[in-house]
Amino acid sequence: MKNSFDEKILEEANDWVTANQKVVLATVIQTWGSSPRQVGSRMIVNEKGDFSGSVSGGCVESAVVRECIGLIKDNKPCKKIEFKVSNESAWEVGLACGGEIAVYLEQVN
Amino acid sequence: MKLQTLKSIIEKKKNKSEFAIITNLKTGESEIFEKSKPLSKEMEVYSNQINEFFRSKKNGVIENSEIFVETYILPIKVIIVGAVHIAQYLVDFAKSLNFEISIIDPRGYFASEQRFPDMKIINKWPNEAFQEIDTNENSALIALTHDPKIDDPALQHALKKKFYYIGALGSKKTHENRCQRLKEAGFSDDQINSIHGPIGIKLGGRSAPEIALSIIAQLVSETYKK
Repeated sequence: MKNSFDEKILEEANDWVTANQKVVLATVIQTWGSSPRQVGSRMIVNEKGDFSGSVSGGCVESAVVRECIGLIKDNKPCKKIEFKVSNESAWEVGLACGGEIAVYLEQVN
Repeated sequence: MKLQTLKSIIEKKKNKSEFAIITNLKTGESEIFEKSKPLSKEMEVYSNQINEFFRSKKNGVIENSEIFVETYILPIKVIIVGAVHIAQYLVDFAKSLNFEISIIDPRGYFASEQRFPDMKIINKWPNEAFQEIDTNENSALIALTHDPKIDDPALQHALKKKFYYIGALGSKKTHENRCQRLKEAGFSDDQINSIHGPIGIKLGGRSAPEIALSIIAQLVSETYKK
């Protein structure tokens, strides 16, 4: 049986919007291979770069935050980004687990 | 996503309804899918696939399309019998796991609002209390009083309704006696053996929060086995 081990991220997004913050939802929409978070996992980011929730085990969150801030600045409604396996260079963003994920970014408006 | 859609998702979750969010990844437009509600013209062509995602309670992108489906399902009902110390920690652990908890205890001094703020507490004997809760094979029972007067009727109800998880607190000896009573009440060995007793996975700890943790770990594990 599947339980909805729900993380109340959308509720938090609503609180942020109520506090006059610009909010982007980032949702894992596809995964290939082994990935840390399943499809439907979500994080939210505001214009300052504050974030809550997760789309990986901490591997790509910093890049997602950057992309979300960019989306707000450019005033674009949505964008899809993909992350692949990281290589050996230590500071590159990527998934050490060997998986790939697609993350969908959308502004709450 | 429109703020209005976000707000209705939150509202629907609160009202305990099952639904899905359908998002057009190209445009960012999203709509709410419910069994009884017709889809928009744009999404109608994907009706079969959307229904399939909804039926199998899955999230994902519909093949060869730019449509993302995210399903929201109801939390599992967990009935705790016995508003005891362990139950207070269980409630804490279970909150972040999105179980829907009801606590039954006929003893008013245990089942007080002050001990369990914001919880659904039914201050009645189990047979009466279960008339107020709709239960089925997707429900779970955690019996914590180890008082046969209170636990036994609840266990019998859970066995009859085929709860997917039934756990009962108490020593091996207490559990043996409990099994004997259930046998005399006409329950089969298979039914009786389905009860997790003594309750919880072996962690080694004996404090109230540690026992609560061992119970909640067992409950989550059984949830995924089903």
